[in-house]
Amino acid sequence: MSSDEGDSDMEYSDDDCGYADYYNTVDDCDIDQVDPSKSDPEYFLFECLLVEDVERLLNENVETLSSNLQITPSLAKVLLHTHGWAVQDVISKYQLDASLLLVQSRIKPPHPPSHTTTSSACGSQSSLVSKDGLEDDENQSNCPVCITASNAEVFSGLACGHKFCKDCWSMHFEVQIIQGISTGICCMAQQCDIYAPEDFVLTLLSKPSLRDKYQQFAFHDYVKSHPQLRFCPGPNCPVVIYAKEPKAKRSVCSKCKSSFCFKCGMDYHAPTDCSTIKKWLTKCADDSETANYISAHTKDCPRCHICIEKNGGCNHMQCYSCKHEFCWMCLGDWKAHGSEYYECSRYKENPNIAHESVHAQAREALKKYLHYYERWENHSKSLKLEEQTLQTIKSRINQKVMDASGTWIDWQYLLEAAMLLAKCRYSLQYTYPYAYYMEPSSRKELFEYQQAQLEAEIENLSWKVERAETTDRGDLENQMDIAEKRRTTLLKDFLEV
Amino acid sequence: MANIAAQRIKREFKEVIKSEEVAKCAIKVELVSDSYTELKGEIAGPPDTPYEGGNFVLEIKVPETYPFNPPKVRFLTKIWHPNISSVTGAICLDILKDQWAAAMTLRTVLLSLQALLSAAEPDDPQDAVVAKQYKDAPDMFRLTARHWTAAYAGGPYSNPEFDSKIRRLADMGIESHDARVALSSFNWDLERATEQLFS
Ligand SMILES: [Zn+2]
Ligand SMILES: [Zn+2]
Ligand SMILES: [Zn+2]
Ligand SMILES: [Zn+2]
Ligand SMILES: [Zn+2]
Ligand SMILES: [Zn+2]
Repeated sequence: MSSDEGDSDMEYSDDDCGYADYYNTVDDCDIDQVDPSKSDPEYFLFECLLVEDVERLLNENVETLSSNLQITPSLAKVLLHTHGWAVQDVISKYQLDASLLLVQSRIKPPHPPSHTTTSSACGSQSSLVSKDGLEDDENQSNCPVCITASNAEVFSGLACGHKFCKDCWSMHFEVQIIQGISTGICCMAQQCDIYAPEDFVLTLLSKPSLRDKYQQFAFHDYVKSHPQLRFCPGPNCPVVIYAKEPKAKRSVCSKCKSSFCFKCGMDYHAPTDCSTIKKWLTKCADDSETANYISAHTKDCPRCHICIEKNGGCNHMQCYSCKHEFCWMCLGDWKAHGSEYYECSRYKENPNIAHESVHAQAREALKKYLHYYERWENHSKSLKLEEQTLQTIKSRINQKVMDASGTWIDWQYLLEAAMLLAKCRYSLQYTYPYAYYMEPSSRKELFEYQQAQLEAEIENLSWKVERAETTDRGDLENQMDIAEKRRTTLLKDFLEV
Repeated sequence: MANIAAQRIKREFKEVIKSEEVAKCAIKVELVSDSYTELKGEIAGPPDTPYEGGNFVLEIKVPETYPFNPPKVRFLTKIWHPNISSVTGAICLDILKDQWAAAMTLRTVLLSLQALLSAAEPDDPQDAVVAKQYKDAPDMFRLTARHWTAAYAGGPYSNPEFDSKIRRLADMGIESHDARVALSSFNWDLERATEQLFS
């Protein structure tokens, strides 16, 4: 599946799936016959795989490595897991210094084990066995964990030389697997971090039910350490997304329709990057109380001061009483918003703040944060409100068709406009964290200029969608075109790939 | 209790009793129940630390899956230390969590705890208030820890200034432990401690 698919399947259906479908079709309104990887800043190639496909893919990697280096598949898995599945990288490191690689991968100890008896191999601190006076005879040794004497053949160990009895290994694996640990299982000796590879675990593990568990957990760990794979974050969804070139782009699960950023698994967040959006969301969660007071749904009309409730997504408001048109965000006159001087989205920093008192600086920092947070939160709410609008549009179309004013086909454009509006507003919402963390610069000025342009066109589109009659079709389609162009321009200039 | 756990604890019990540290009165274990599932540990405060001269009692619970899982250990004696909760006695120490190894023993645990008293790890704190004081006001931290050692662990050094501040609060009806916690948390600033206690 690629991001340029699915532009035609926006057929009108009566089920109320709202925008969910929409977010999943990463279409372009007018697809030119050009290379989408160049023309579309959000272009992203990925595949939705099932567990079997992923296992096949991982096994291919394992086989390549194990046949290349002449090592067991089990060791190959440890090497790949600890090196992000970079087969060629592991091979060249092995050829450069095999011993170093094995030590770094925690397969071999940094110093060769001393060839002493099993009981004293556990380090000088654990003296349970050597101090208690039990003599190790020719065939019998004491296991340092259960302190039981057994014949030498029941003992086994890893490259570190620490030997324990079969039953203790088995119990150790059991306890670890029950806690969800698989690829991370280590030797039982004190301060020994040598990994127990898969074949060692599976040979010694006695309970068959735990073998499946172990393999499931290991599979999970492998997918997590593989940079080209990501589990679909949808609830209980088994799909794994594969991307040859992993990027912070939108991927959509073919099974559960979840839509998310491939790189971090969070909600898609262009133009903001993964670490910035994480920082932003953490900040919002931390400061949620401070920000709570602004999440009101009502404001007073700036002219007649009557209380107005916002019940649509559009931020271009009109007072029901005095008909004054104003901006919901800044409460400024709407007329000023259409012009070149549209600066509602921009935060004007105090240029002398460095010379102000600590208190003034703290207040300024809070003011700045609230400016961006308020807009971020507002667009998120608008998205939800516009989802309701979509339902209204559907019933409006039903009515029109029943009154014989136009056919379904005639009205299709209105739904498309609503879908596009959602897509644009979604991108706009995610421009705010980006702008918040930008240092003042000419690049920031350019960003905020484009952001303001996009915002203005989105509000125009929203206004038109909420009021569209069949005769407006050409005008609406023109507005759609402008809004989407503003969106792609901003992403082209600022989405880092 | 699983066979292997009981067998191990019995053996370890002997190990600690015979160890050279016991001879030096540095560590000790006692059975609490006959079943070997609950033990009482004791460690002496290491020399040249604010815990010197104190004796710290530990609760040790041995899980069914011992020694494949670590024992559950907490301080019963109240102590002022960045990695130990001043409220519950819970301990933040890697070998009691994911760095545990089945070949470790009670003796290793007790010695590691003693080492923790000598060298705190404020970047991995259990008690955020104590850790902050440890970093920001190390002298105040040492005095406070020593005062707690005297108050709860039988340490020898009393601090008349601290004692009189606690008495001042006691006169206002504050229980002495609560007074000590509040004063310790505010670097022995009587005004701020009072404010917090009565807010
Ligand atoms: Zn054993
Ligand atoms: Zn080992
Ligand atoms: Zn899914
Ligand atoms: Zn991301
Ligand atoms: Zn009005
Ligand atoms: Zn505005």
